[in-house]
Amino acid sequence: MVCACLTAPPRACRVAVYRVYRVTPAACGSGVAEAVRDGTSGSQADGELNGMDFAWSDQQRELLDAVGRFASQQLNYNVIENDRDSVFNHDAWKKCGSFGIQGLPVPAEYGGLGMDPLTTVAALERLGYACKDNGLLFSINAHLWTAVTPLVYNGSEAQKKKYLPGLCNGTIIGGNAMSEPNSGSDAFSLTTTAVKKGSRYIINGSKIFVTNGPIADLLVVFATVDKTRGPDGISAFLVEKDSPGMNVARKLEKMGVRTSPMAEVFFENCEVPEENLLGNEGGGAFLFTRSMTWERGCILASAVGSMQRLLETCIRYANERKQGGQAIGKYQLVASKIVDMKVRVESSRHMLYHYGWLSGHRKAVYLEAAMTKLHIADCWVKCCEDAIQIHGGYGYMTEYEVERELRDAIGSKLYSGTSEIQRNIIASMLGL
Amino acid sequence: MKILVSFKSVPDPNDVTIAGAAVSTPKSVINPFDEIAIEEALRIRERAEATEIVGVTIGAPAVDEQIRAALAMGVDCAIRIDDSRALDPYAVARILSAVVQKEAPHVVIMGKQAVDDDSNQVGQMLAGLLGWPQATFVSKIEFLDNKTRARCTRETDAGLEVVEVNLPAIITTDLRLNEPRYVSLPGLIKARRKPIEALTCDQLGVTVRPLTTVLSIARPPKRAAGTRVESVEELITKLKQEAKVL
Repeated sequence: MVCACLTAPPRACRVAVYRVYRVTPAACGSGVAEAVRDGTSGSQADGELNGMDFAWSDQQRELLDAVGRFASQQLNYNVIENDRDSVFNHDAWKKCGSFGIQGLPVPAEYGGLGMDPLTTVAALERLGYACKDNGLLFSINAHLWTAVTPLVYNGSEAQKKKYLPGLCNGTIIGGNAMSEPNSGSDAFSLTTTAVKKGSRYIINGSKIFVTNGPIADLLVVFATVDKTRGPDGISAFLVEKDSPGMNVARKLEKMGVRTSPMAEVFFENCEVPEENLLGNEGGGAFLFTRSMTWERGCILASAVGSMQRLLETCIRYANERKQGGQAIGKYQLVASKIVDMKVRVESSRHMLYHYGWLSGHRKAVYLEAAMTKLHIADCWVKCCEDAIQIHGGYGYMTEYEVERELRDAIGSKLYSGTSEIQRNIIASMLGL
Repeated sequence: MKILVSFKSVPDPNDVTIAGAAVSTPKSVINPFDEIAIEEALRIRERAEATEIVGVTIGAPAVDEQIRAALAMGVDCAIRIDDSRALDPYAVARILSAVVQKEAPHVVIMGKQAVDDDSNQVGQMLAGLLGWPQATFVSKIEFLDNKTRARCTRETDAGLEVVEVNLPAIITTDLRLNEPRYVSLPGLIKARRKPIEALTCDQLGVTVRPLTTVLSIARPPKRAAGTRVESVEELITKLKQEAKVL
């Protein structure tokens, strides 16, 4: 008996205690972390297994395969040229729309597929694996998480009926306008104003880094109705392209995801009908926080696919390329890089799926979304660096399509909250 | 108008292993010519010239995967004749003729041949068994006179031939008729709710027995590398003596 206790404690003695944090999203948006202790015993009752199933259903597998086939055969043309010339692939966007990508998480009654978050992120991962145009995927992500999701959650019935079917089938391109020249990480310090005048709101201010700005048909614009109310004054508005007073100015040149257009947008006495208020007046900060949580959790799903593709490319290259009389993969320094890539892909994928599972089961995901985003962004950039290193001089050449991945990946540490902001969120959720 | 499209599940042409008389593949697909037939049926329905598209195939339950792919493309419902034997073209034509009598379509569209056996016989035999007109190797279909006739453009070695057939008729498709669409995710999801009816030959009232047996299948021999000739005279000599084409 004594021996047994010393060598290995019986399973029932091991009590796994982990913390689940529930966020009460306060209007200030920073969220008040409420720690809930949830103790579960590691023991299992008489052969009963706890629910943890990593298998895809036949239907999920069928769907994921279809996404892979579609993307690999329909979306990978002119990628190098479009990246060089900063050209958005409209045709590919429309194909994605009619195929069903933009409708993945949208309820069927509004023209979507009504997929749960786990299936959605897995489909986006497969899309990222099979489609090499990261800019197109970035535009799709911006569309899904900053325009579609807020509409699904906060839109009125009339707004959903009006916009969601088009947003799903590829005929309407969405985006949001939040960041301002002087309000980035401190998002709720925005200064764009919305003043109610009769049955309209008059919006004034300027927005920067508006993803899809030059191509968007519909923008979710954040403005304050009362600066003195702080975050409680922030409201969201659905602003259609060509609204009087809205001016999509300078298209912004950037380092990566160059096929996803970005612009600065000015509002000068831009009139928006009151029925285009999204959610409640003053509800914008909460709406933004919720859509950001979705975005953080899902936006790098395609990056996991991209990493998997890079991993396979590197394995192939390391087996084919011979130096010093042997395949370079036989050199431990090369093999070790590839091993690290593999571990990064797998850990990223598990965090992504776990986020998707939690989200689908309506569990709190504020913390998990931030961790998922932080981890995948780090892994993606490191994978790309290693992939270039493994390919040597060839990896630095555009035609090998590895250097573009690095340029595309680096932005992931900046958008949807910088890696520093993700760390702040995680620290605050840990009670620090 | 009701269209019956028949399709065959074949080994993925890009990934096959040949051993003796058996061809194996990790993945089966719809015969590409039949996929063109399905696409054409869908386009005819989109032009509002057809109201119903029924798919039919023969095979074990494993071919349900290809049936679902056809349903996902847009076929309304499907019949699977449950028979896992290796059937020859005559047996297939006899089974299909029983299906045609049961379903009474206005037109049957199918690929001109299957890419696994390249027989190119089923459409013709089916027309013969039914006593229906046939248009084979078709690259264009138009319906005329309130859909009582079809004008079909055929691809022949001599060029394009235009024929008109009275309906009901059998039409077999050539490569250039259309380019099949991609299965969309909504299509895939809708397909899950579409009915697949499984029938046996007994239920159809046909007894078939293969009349031919495949003895072996082999890859075509690899072509030897060409040689460079020094002069026209040498070329002509070689053409006469080695190639024996002159």
